[in-house]
Amino acid sequence: MKSNNINKEVRRIIVVLVLVCVLFVSLVVYLTYFQIFKAETVKMNSYNKRLWINEEKILRGSIIDRNGKILAYSEKDGETYRRIYNYGNLYSHIIGYSYREYGKSGLELKYNNELLNISKSAALNELRNIVAPNTEGNTLKLTIDHHLQEYSRNLLKGKKGSIVAMNPITGEIYAMVSMPDFNPSTLRENWSNIVEDENSPLLNRATSGLYQPGSTFKVITAIAAIEAGKVGEKYNCTGSTTIDGYVLSDYNKTPHGNIDLTGALVYSCNPYFAEKGVEIGKDKLEDVAERFYLNKAIPFDLTVTKSSFPNKSNMGKTDIAAASIGQGEVLVTPLHMAMIASGIANKGQIVKPILVKEIISPEGRIVGFSEIEILSEGTDAFTANEVKNMMVEVVQRGTGKNARINGVKVAGKTGTAQNPSNKDHAWFIGFAPADDPKIAIAVILEEEGASGGTAAAPIARKIILEALNTIN
Amino acid sequence: MLGNNVNYRIPRNLLFIFELMTLALMFLYYKDTLNRITVIYSLTLILLVYISNFLLLRITSGDNYIFLIVTMLVSIGVIMIYRINPELGMKQILWIGFGIILFFVTYILFKRIRGWENWFLVYAIGSVILFILTLLLGRSIKGAVNWINIGGFSIQPSEIIKILSVFLIASYYTNYDKFNKMKFGNYYLMGIMYIFVMFLFLQKDLGSVLIFLSVFIALQYVYEEDRKLVLINLSILMVSAIAGYFIFSHVQSRVHTWLNPWKYIDSKGYQITQSLFAIAEGGFFGTGLGLGYPEFIPEVHTDFIFSAICEEMGIFTGIGIIMLFLILVYRGFKIAINQKYRFYKIVALGISILFGIQSFIIFGGVLNMIPLTGITIPFVSYGGSSMLTSFIALGILQVVSEELDFDEE
Repeated sequence: MKSNNINKEVRRIIVVLVLVCVLFVSLVVYLTYFQIFKAETVKMNSYNKRLWINEEKILRGSIIDRNGKILAYSEKDGETYRRIYNYGNLYSHIIGYSYREYGKSGLELKYNNELLNISKSAALNELRNIVAPNTEGNTLKLTIDHHLQEYSRNLLKGKKGSIVAMNPITGEIYAMVSMPDFNPSTLRENWSNIVEDENSPLLNRATSGLYQPGSTFKVITAIAAIEAGKVGEKYNCTGSTTIDGYVLSDYNKTPHGNIDLTGALVYSCNPYFAEKGVEIGKDKLEDVAERFYLNKAIPFDLTVTKSSFPNKSNMGKTDIAAASIGQGEVLVTPLHMAMIASGIANKGQIVKPILVKEIISPEGRIVGFSEIEILSEGTDAFTANEVKNMMVEVVQRGTGKNARINGVKVAGKTGTAQNPSNKDHAWFIGFAPADDPKIAIAVILEEEGASGGTAAAPIARKIILEALNTIN
Repeated sequence: MLGNNVNYRIPRNLLFIFELMTLALMFLYYKDTLNRITVIYSLTLILLVYISNFLLLRITSGDNYIFLIVTMLVSIGVIMIYRINPELGMKQILWIGFGIILFFVTYILFKRIRGWENWFLVYAIGSVILFILTLLLGRSIKGAVNWINIGGFSIQPSEIIKILSVFLIASYYTNYDKFNKMKFGNYYLMGIMYIFVMFLFLQKDLGSVLIFLSVFIALQYVYEEDRKLVLINLSILMVSAIAGYFIFSHVQSRVHTWLNPWKYIDSKGYQITQSLFAIAEGGFFGTGLGLGYPEFIPEVHTDFIFSAICEEMGIFTGIGIIMLFLILVYRGFKIAINQKYRFYKIVALGISILFGIQSFIIFGGVLNMIPLTGITIPFVSYGGSSMLTSFIALGILQVVSEELDFDEE
């Protein structure tokens, strides 16, 4: 009886011990979980004073354009430093802002360590502070051309949308505009208005705005058609076609008559491309789209939202038809469309876009620079050349006539994307000169309610002309 | 004996080297303000720890690990406190010194004096007097009224009452049959414990409420023969916990902050979010001693010392500390199981649970795993009351770990 009692007692003590062990082990598990999965996000909270501790002692580096024009700099203001944005709204989405209360965005966020000239390791920083205290950050030299940036923004004033102009060979971004924008200099005063504005001025449409590409996507479908060898047959366009009981019609329902692939692209014939897409098949289309980096993360100096091409296994014919003409579930960012235009200009090679050209130390040494990098082979040189020639004809005699420039061969493609707002998005993508490309461009006017040819092409034309005349 | 000696020498020497190295690092860090007294104090402490470990091996026939574990804990704690604030670090060295002395005094007294199990009323009345003193003379620190000021020293009576309660429960269950024969004898202990908890609640010391209840429930679970009582106790607690949440705004506010600290980041969630920043910044290996910013956390040297350790020494050290406590608690349970006298058994168990639950509550609190209640980590946090009473408890545990040879009365 006595020993039974003692056994019972020991058993209960062990139960309590096990409970205590469970508590302690759960602490270890939780601590590890926190460190692996949550710590990164927690650290970036703007209430974390550690993010700012270095900044208050260091003169944040300047940001300059490709020609050395100062776009943003810091100056001493009593004990701390004050950030000054020279051009207000103009660089709201490229440079972004840096405020204790609101955190950071744009390059101020992505290149924070470089601008402060600090390394990620606290121990290294500490060592360096002993040897040579760091008081001044690095300067960022951008690929942006200040004049073209300002020129592009003026063309977009009062509208919603985005323009991306870049060098199709090197990937350097010359201008990147997103409207509406905001003024980083007066962020403190206007913060609540900016945040509540239903047009989302904080959103960088160029890199994070997802739009249906509309007919501009036909260049991808055209590449897929050429690669699949399905270009020979003539096609009679009646202005609409029925696929699986679903009627697809042309813009303004104009019949184009007898056309081939070139004609279909020149006049942006929806029935042709819809049927061609179904004929080529979903796998081939998806293959080409993914070589052009849809469904893939684009590496860039700013965060880029992934463009998407539907990759469901059970896509119906109507879905494929819609995708072939850039409707349905195809979604792209303006930056991505500029990259696609660049890819065709660059013999099918898709180049990585660059925004920061050089990182320059306070002593004037170049401590970092971007190199030309080919992300992927979108298509072969032959196919790219074929499509380029078609795009030249689009501008010479088709929907892109408004982008025509005397003495310069411009290649382009227009797009008019239907969307839930009932006001179409107007698109234009292109590059020039077609045989020796110096600039590639994507223009989108959001909910413009007009066709790409009438609304977007003239803007693209002006920017191409300005770029060819001013950028060397 | 020789084999034993070798076994304990290795960890003892490792601890010695650890202390010397971290101390050297700290002196380098504060090289500009370093003075002779600091060096003498620190070296004396290291020597004291070393000699104590050495001495203990000679005089005790009981457990040789618990004191070793505790000296490791106090070393990490004092280094961190010294790094945060050299002045407090110096004070902490003194507290540890007194603590170790008190450990030996307790060891001798508790072993010599007999009849601890017969003083149920003394423990009960003593605790109540201390509680009343706290209420009358109490100063409010951090919203909790649990400090009293005696001759220039602030002491926290609830720390002493914790040990008294363990003795109270132990003597109750040792004399279980005697109490059982009295009218309502069954309910004596429960009644007294509820009065204690009510006092603590009046002081708004929610952390201590949790500790007292945990110790009480665990011991009741092991020793109460009337199992119905255990269930009744648990049900009452469950109901009052829920009722407490709805009635008292300070309970609600703790829970809300726990569920979403980020929402209250600039008010009541400030401390906990600063603690999370520190732990997140530390990563697995820490920023390195002196390279983090633990001073951003309010009360970092007491309640939030664990976050500071995680920031500068990494969560591997944090996990190390948790593991040290786990081993300490495990040794304590083992001591309880091996002890043949009921009173001492219960005391060992109570003290182990005390160490375990107190450290768990504050570790979990600063991690935001459970709602935060401000209490100290035994042996690690800054503070005299906590340090001294913890060493007293350890001294008692040391005695119980030995094979005692007297007749139970």
